[in-house]
Amino acid sequence: MKRFFRRAAAPVLGVLLFGGIAAKSLAEPSFSSEQVDLMAAACANCHGTDGRLVGSVPALAGRPAEVLEARLLAFKHEEQSDTTIMDRIAKGFTDEELAALAAHFAAIDPDGDDDSQAEQEPQE
Amino acid sequence: MTQHSQRSGINRRQLIKGLGAASLLPLVGGVTPFAIGGQHAGKVVVVGGGFGGATAAKYLKRANPAIEVILVEPAETFYTCPFSNLHLGGLRSMDEIAHGYDELQDRYGVRVIHARAEDVDAAAHKVTLSTGSELDYDRLVLSPGIDIRWNALEGYDEAAAEKAPHAWKAGSQTEKLRAQLEAMEDGGTFVMVAPENPFRCPPGPYERASLVANYLAQYKPKSKVLILDAKDNFSKQGLFMEGWEQLYGDRIEWVGLSNDGRVTRVDAERLEVETEFGTVHKADVLNVIPPQKAGWIAERAGVTDDSGWVPVKPETFESQQVEDIYVIGDATVAAPMPKSGFCANAQAKVVAAAIAASLESRPAPEAYWTNTCYSLVGPEYGISVAGVYRVVDGAIAEVEGSGGVSPTGAPSATRALEAQYAVGWYNAICQDTWGTQT
Repeated sequence: MKRFFRRAAAPVLGVLLFGGIAAKSLAEPSFSSEQVDLMAAACANCHGTDGRLVGSVPALAGRPAEVLEARLLAFKHEEQSDTTIMDRIAKGFTDEELAALAAHFAAIDPDGDDDSQAEQEPQE
Repeated sequence: MTQHSQRSGINRRQLIKGLGAASLLPLVGGVTPFAIGGQHAGKVVVVGGGFGGATAAKYLKRANPAIEVILVEPAETFYTCPFSNLHLGGLRSMDEIAHGYDELQDRYGVRVIHARAEDVDAAAHKVTLSTGSELDYDRLVLSPGIDIRWNALEGYDEAAAEKAPHAWKAGSQTEKLRAQLEAMEDGGTFVMVAPENPFRCPPGPYERASLVANYLAQYKPKSKVLILDAKDNFSKQGLFMEGWEQLYGDRIEWVGLSNDGRVTRVDAERLEVETEFGTVHKADVLNVIPPQKAGWIAERAGVTDDSGWVPVKPETFESQQVEDIYVIGDATVAAPMPKSGFCANAQAKVVAAAIAASLESRPAPEAYWTNTCYSLVGPEYGISVAGVYRVVDGAIAEVEGSGGVSPTGAPSATRALEAQYAVGWYNAICQDTWGTQT
């Protein structure tokens, strides 16, 4: 249900839900949550659905947005000695897209089940 | 109806009640919302349960659980082509590349029908199954993978594939080739016939040669691998050749097109192949990776063109030829995206979003695709190629400055790390596609 909400009223709710980074997001071009979902889905091929899979490839879900964003921007813009592939992938996204992805994964509960779980929660 | 969609249906009604119908309308911008009070949200039939089809089914349900999604796939167990080369090399059991459909059914409420799709009536929006029953659809997703173009290479037909396996669809063919390799006497030659572009998994033949060589080095050290190739260049060529030299010395011999590498005739009975200029090579184990085309149902649906592959609209992967049919994966013409499981999975998500949007008469979100493809040159020696793609001027294009292959001359620690990531990638994409937990 959250998903329905997010899609229907993305630009408004997105800012409200992501409280902590709201000020920053306002200054950046906004993407619909459907758009961010699709962008983020491309990460699941290596990081698991919703970025929750823990393994040799690190999980993304629930990590602080600032940390994820800084890491992604560094992959894109700096010479990184500690990555094998993310530098090649981060270069395919704009800084704003990387920020939106960071916020998206930060807002996911790492221990959650999936979006069907969210539907079982009482509605707002 | 499934548990999930039932539940979400109730929740949706509760939500509407809670908000009041008046407050909902501005939220959805006047477009008829889906499944209010059990209204029809749309019915999507997905044909093919591989990386493309299974992902499409799952992400359609994630986009909108009220959409009725039916997946049609003959096999109850799906064996992946990625990592099937590890089975050939004796590094992984078939069980470790096997996946099922429990998550799609139990968690996402996808109806899975184990039957073969026999025909598509695009005008009537109907699919006929091998069981004789018919399924109607609002949107159809075809993820049929490849079919072999039997006899396109002289002498290579279905009977020949029993003697000289292609193993380019994972399963019994993989096991057959593995058994032949195990039975081969030390000193034998494993001959691989590699096809022209385009074909499924561009680096696949060379990873296979690598892992066969790795097995031979340990168990049949006098044996060799000979690759007869119909082209002069191949995926990650510099990296493979660097790795071959380091790990296998001259155990792997590659003969390209310009050196008479193109095979024009196969004699599976005698395990012999003949090249363009008449050289006959005798194999002890013969692996023919033959010319390919889109999976057969694509032809029945009328979505293939003269090339045998499926042209699609780049933004949505809807067929260019038939409305309401979306095609993903190896069957499509999607260059510069390669025919890989990763791309099929990425395309499936774009298709799921596009269909969910179209069922609500909304425009599709902008498409993004990535590809990451690892190959193992040895068990602890991994290399990769990556790409990020978007639609530019109406065509799929690689984002400038992104992507590319692993560096040549990298230290062994980097190769070892990429080999670990290859396993991490496989676990992740199989979790994302079938829900397989490792």
